[in-house]
Amino acid sequence: MAAPGGPRERLTCERMPDPLDDVALRARLAAAHVALIGCGGLGSNAAAMLVRSGVGALTLIDFDVIEESNLNRQLFFRDQLGRPKVEALAETLLRIDPGVDLTLVRECMTGENLLATVVHADVVIEAVDRAEVKAMIADVMARDAGHVPFVTASGLAGFDSANHVVTERLGENFYLVGDCVSDVRHGLPLFASRVMVASAHQAHVAIRILLGHDEP
Amino acid sequence: MRVDLALFAHLSGFQPDGRGGRSSRPLELEEGATVGDVASLLGLPDEPRIVLLNGRHAEDSTALSEGDRLAIFPPVAGG
Repeated sequence: MAAPGGPRERLTCERMPDPLDDVALRARLAAAHVALIGCGGLGSNAAAMLVRSGVGALTLIDFDVIEESNLNRQLFFRDQLGRPKVEALAETLLRIDPGVDLTLVRECMTGENLLATVVHADVVIEAVDRAEVKAMIADVMARDAGHVPFVTASGLAGFDSANHVVTERLGENFYLVGDCVSDVRHGLPLFASRVMVASAHQAHVAIRILLGHDEP
Repeated sequence: MRVDLALFAHLSGFQPDGRGGRSSRPLELEEGATVGDVASLLGLPDEPRIVLLNGRHAEDSTALSEGDRLAIFPPVAGG
């Protein structure tokens, strides 16, 4: 496990030469660092996609432990119940790629500790569940870390069409994933299929950013 | 002055033209109007919302300028 915030070339302000060959693509992703705030349905699945795609370093942030109700959509297993999510997820990710560089933060993010925890990442993914915490994280990132690409999610509950889950670029470094409507507070269930659509959007926009592509 | 306003989720129903949808459209405002003035003018509900002005964070007290792009969306729970 690496110390958080080590020196790392900021990757996202530069353009990659075009076209990229496969070796250059993999090197680019291997040198990249993505921070995931929340390791539930969105964060755990996005983390696995990023590792499978060759992203070299992740910061995993979650204060919670695994409960049975998480198993319907989160990348955890019955024999991991009761364990801290960041630890269990790290074990799974290391089974996929033993070389991935993981920093584990078992804390609840607040307006006081958020910035120092994530500001050294090349991309930050917001993957928490509560609306007011999403608002706090988005406010802090947009106000104090506008130079760091930020991917937030809003609206992934229920059984509406997966085609309504989209990625929108609302600012130079601010990306919104979701349908912006389907609210778990209104009694809509969280289905693994739709949650994973949103988490795949988040992982994919992170990869596109790291490779120097603009989201339309 | 005129700003470009995009409202997301259920807030889109507060667009003055009543057509909803997340696409942006122009909004005429008095000179010196702020983000908070827009929320009051449109009658947006008092709930957590994320406000981006030209892609950056903005407070209710932030003054608007001609041609600004204002996006407002409510965070929706689930993750």
